[in-house]
Amino acid sequence: MTRIRSILLTVFATFFVVCSFSSPALSADPTEELRPTLDGIMAIITNQTFAGDEQKALRRSKIMDIAHRGFDFSMMSKLVLGRTWKTIDAQQRKLFEELFTKLLENAYIGKLEDYTGQVTKYTGERVKGKKAEVSTLMENNGLTLPVNYIMIDNGAGWKVYDIKIEGVRLLRNYRAQFKSIVKKEKFEGLVQVLEEKNAEFSNESTM
Amino acid sequence: MKFSSSLPALCLLLVFVFAGCAKQDSRTASNLAEDEILAEHVQDDIDLLLDDAFDDWDDNDDEDISYPDPLEPMNRFFFVFNDKLYYWVLKPVNTVYTAIIPFDFRVVIGNFVNNLSAPVRLLNNLLQGKFADSGVVLSRFLINSTLGIAGLGDPAFVEFGLTPKPEDFGQTLAVWGVGEGVYLCWPVIGPSNVRDTFGFAGDVYSHPMVYYVDDFSVSAGYYVGSRVNLLSLNPDVYEDLKKYSLDPYVSMRQLYLDYRRHKIGDQVVLQKSDNSL
Repeated sequence: MTRIRSILLTVFATFFVVCSFSSPALSADPTEELRPTLDGIMAIITNQTFAGDEQKALRRSKIMDIAHRGFDFSMMSKLVLGRTWKTIDAQQRKLFEELFTKLLENAYIGKLEDYTGQVTKYTGERVKGKKAEVSTLMENNGLTLPVNYIMIDNGAGWKVYDIKIEGVRLLRNYRAQFKSIVKKEKFEGLVQVLEEKNAEFSNESTM
Repeated sequence: MKFSSSLPALCLLLVFVFAGCAKQDSRTASNLAEDEILAEHVQDDIDLLLDDAFDDWDDNDDEDISYPDPLEPMNRFFFVFNDKLYYWVLKPVNTVYTAIIPFDFRVVIGNFVNNLSAPVRLLNNLLQGKFADSGVVLSRFLINSTLGIAGLGDPAFVEFGLTPKPEDFGQTLAVWGVGEGVYLCWPVIGPSNVRDTFGFAGDVYSHPMVYYVDDFSVSAGYYVGSRVNLLSLNPDVYEDLKKYSLDPYVSMRQLYLDYRRHKIGDQVVLQKSDNSL
């Protein structure tokens, strides 16, 4: 009996040691990594100290600090440009990443700021290799919107790289637009359009 | 609105021919362009990532993620036309409409309009072999027409939890294997494709309105009225699209493609009411 017990103990101990040595990315699950990001962003949006137009810059920088931990913006920049990414140099890539991240901030965070009473419910999760899709239901004043987050395990944990609502994917939509612009006006033209769009957002008032 | 009895058959025949041809043409053209690009760029890490992510992100081949759009110049013309129509006519009309008619009453109007088109949904559920859903559509119609007072209320959902099962003839054609064909942006009607254009015609033809009132202007007026009401319940949809996109035309095309494919694939669309866009 004691023999069996000691064997079991050894097995458990080994199991524990192995588990604790394995990478954190392997054990963490996508929903649990997404939750603090969304909660953190909502906490700032609903926080009255950061409300209003005059607080916009401060509020946005706080939100983006959290977003940078939960979203993989450089992956998104690569994916959204597709083949064009290969044709531009490091400096252009850096510029594009900045502009596109700013656009996502304006579009996604800007839209979230309209929804001040929202609750997010996590309804499902699919994992396939290094990719995952987390399904959520966003409820805001009686309206329910299914928002799915597409995530990738980039080595530093699960990061969001696309958002899907009713089959419509944010990144794919921008990808189609960018492709059309690059085709006609080259990369330089795209940069110009991005700069104009971001300027449009910074001129408008929110909330 | 008079239709000859052979119209549905003609429509069907045309849709098969047209969609088939259109698809083939665009394939050969874009395949040539595709080969050129592939010759220059070997598949790289980006493509690998885009590949095979989740079933619907198989856009290693660019053709998969965008519509064949050989009629882009014409479509863009009508897109601009619709845009002007929106800002000059639809939006002012909607502003007045929204101011005069209270929200609750607009929901009631929406319910009535949706209930009246139940036969279209029933027909298409049946044509797609969805018998359980057909039963739900029929139950909803019977409950809402009686308890809901001629469809003004939606007790079928509120009291019985029966969710709408929206199916249209465009989806039926897709289920039957008809290809999308090229993208089309129609004046007034908006984004569509060859298949959905015939689908739209089929829906109009199977709508009870056409049989009740034998007058085109009444049917057209009914259509425009129902669209204004739908807009009044979802006022931000178009303006958000314009606000967040860099090329609204392409954005709408992509949105239409993804949304229609999503609906055809019958992935769970969370829709509590027919009144949402």
